Amino acid sequence: MNVEITELTRRFGRTQAVASVDLDLGPGVFGLLGPNGAGKTSLLRMLATVIPPSSGTLRLLGRDPGSYPQRRQIRRRLGYLPQDLGYYPGFTVAEFVEYFALLKEMPPNRVPAAVATAVERTGLGDKARTKLRTLSGGMLRRAGIAQAIVNEPELLLLDEPTAGLDPEQRVTFRALLRDLGQRATVVVSTHLVEDVGAACSQVALMDQGKIVFCGTPEELTARAEGTDAAGDAPLERGYSAVLAAARTGAGAQS
Amino acid sequence: MTTATAPVAPAAPARPSRVALPGPARLLGLELRRNIMPWLLPLLAVLFWLVTYRPAMADPPFWDVRSGIVQSHTLLAFAPLLAGAAAWAGSREHRRGMADMVGMTALPRWAGQLAAWAATTCWAEAAYLAGVAVLYVVTAHQGAWGGPLLWPVAVGAAFVAASCALGFTAGALLPSRFTAPVAAFVMFLALAGGAFALQANVTYAQIWPLNVQGAFPGDAYGIFYPYFPDLPIAQLMFLAGLAAAALGGLGLPAAAGGRWLRGAAAAVTAAGLAAAGTGVVLAGTARLEEHGIVIPALHDAASDRPTPYTPVCGHTAIPICLQPAYRALLTDVTAALGPVLSQVAGLPGAPVRVTQVAVTSVHADPSNGIALGGPVIDGRPPVLYLPLSRVALPGEGSASAITENLRQQDGAWILSLVVGLPGHVGAGASVGGISVMPGLGPRHSAQVAVVDGLVRALDLAQPGPLRARIPHGTPPGWHQELAAAQRFAALPAAARHAWLMTHLAALRAGRISLSEIP
Repeated sequence: MNVEITELTRRFGRTQAVASVDLDLGPGVFGLLGPNGAGKTSLLRMLATVIPPSSGTLRLLGRDPGSYPQRRQIRRRLGYLPQDLGYYPGFTVAEFVEYFALLKEMPPNRVPAAVATAVERTGLGDKARTKLRTLSGGMLRRAGIAQAIVNEPELLLLDEPTAGLDPEQRVTFRALLRDLGQRATVVVSTHLVEDVGAACSQVALMDQGKIVFCGTPEELTARAEGTDAAGDAPLERGYSAVLAAARTGAGAQS
Repeated sequence: MTTATAPVAPAAPARPSRVALPGPARLLGLELRRNIMPWLLPLLAVLFWLVTYRPAMADPPFWDVRSGIVQSHTLLAFAPLLAGAAAWAGSREHRRGMADMVGMTALPRWAGQLAAWAATTCWAEAAYLAGVAVLYVVTAHQGAWGGPLLWPVAVGAAFVAASCALGFTAGALLPSRFTAPVAAFVMFLALAGGAFALQANVTYAQIWPLNVQGAFPGDAYGIFYPYFPDLPIAQLMFLAGLAAAALGGLGLPAAAGGRWLRGAAAAVTAAGLAAAGTGVVLAGTARLEEHGIVIPALHDAASDRPTPYTPVCGHTAIPICLQPAYRALLTDVTAALGPVLSQVAGLPGAPVRVTQVAVTSVHADPSNGIALGGPVIDGRPPVLYLPLSRVALPGEGSASAITENLRQQDGAWILSLVVGLPGHVGAGASVGGISVMPGLGPRHSAQVAVVDGLVRALDLAQPGPLRARIPHGTPPGWHQELAAAQRFAALPAAARHAWLMTHLAALRAGRISLSEIP
């Protein structure tokens, strides 16, 4: 298992953002769904070793991120795209990706080729020498994805990766996700259930800091059967049904 | 985007290096390319030209004068700007929302921050050293004697690094868009505070990085004597310590790295504070001596030996020999003092040679700390030891200014020395270039009248009875002095000289009355 979570909790003051979450993830694309404030970003930030958990145990790639030397090893094999992508406007796309390749301590002789590959895979090959300040929001998002995958991570954490991408780019991106998921554990936090249906082999639904559903997209869809849950697509209706059940106390973690 | 699993051929490679540089070097290269400092280079260049180059060019081409201006003027202008720019660079992760992305990478955050600081500092040092190089090359081209003084440059370079370190750390630890201007302002206040503390004779304020060898640039250091490295060493310790403490402070937060790394950062901080404190303590023991600032614990007695040189001499009745650094001034000095020397040449007790000596700094008045010595006649045969003090002062380096200063002040002083009129530095009134001691007795009346007459005859200074300007009131008998001076001035030069040949010994002994003056 690349991700092993037991009773993971994170508090910010009196607010409990993540509450006793258990989760085990192997290779594949894992979708993390949930309404705003459900705790998805907090969970992802813990998985990215940005913030430590308040309690519970967390093992990533077989290592304990609580120990600095092991955390450093994890970080070399980790990719992370935050929800709010920060960037240095004066950097070119290639420099931005190279910067993170170096911060991830990639072997220097591998960096140029890895940067070129990551830029190419995100469709920014012709923009490699373009400064970030001149890029559109969608292109910036792709540059963010490029920096996340430049080290060919074994654990890739993407927070709202398709925000700002046009439909064509989203289709291409889903294909990229499926490809990456063949070797790595890819955790995608998103509001867009169609992304989950198209790219994810497993999906979890969070609400109020807890995982109220974990299974395949088909199983999530099946949860809508026999209910009058709202939604335009079957997966959306499953999403709504699980949330409604969780909020009335009938839901339970699968 | 493509879904290819194998690495694809790069369409636009990320500018791969021909040489596989190590990771930190590549990171530094990236930071250098995208640093804020290049945008500030034009401003720094203009500042350097306005604040350093122009004032330096207004002074004579002496290494001590030029290096003093580099250390004081340049850093006063650069340091606040550099601190602000470094604070801007240090706060960029926060301002750009990059903290999470950078914080989850494997490279210790401290290392990444040091790379960014190093890039900022490299640009700042390059700007500073380029300016210094231009100034020094021009100075060398102008024929400055000896070699360039590097200690002031080293102190300046350390101050540049320390300014960047302090600003960067402030930006990283207190990130906001206001950190940069606040850092620049605080640096400016610190420099101003140091200047006030130095003026108030706070001994520890000697460590102030803009403090050169003394309050005024003299020529004792760097020309007649080696440049004392005592104060620069203490300043370097202080500045390097400050920089180390600031950079070590970056590595103290939990996010900076692992336990060992933070321990190392704490050790660097402690060592930096210790070095800075030691520098301040050493500066507290500094004292201004004749040839510069001495710190006993750091002083090398070998520095007290004069720098050997072969003087350059003019061909006048009384030869004038200058230190070769002043070669360009020989003509002006000869023109200024020639008439005076012709008037006294051959007189008993008159100098047979004029030899330039170092301007010495001596404690005089707590308000300004030093005073500069004047000419002295000493030895057998008598030699006139002439410090060209005013020549070395900023803003007084033009040929006309030199000639005028020498004629009005040193010329008249030399005459007073020849006739035995007591005079000294820092007391009494400066009259016709002569600082006359208050309380001159009646036996000096003839000497005063003869000097006044010579000053009038040689047109050295504004004529007038010397005693009349002494601030203790008009003494009795000044009308007689004035009449005698006017009589003596009206004589032909040969007659004056002949009379002096005959009567100088008696005049010096105070045995000549006013009525005996022709």
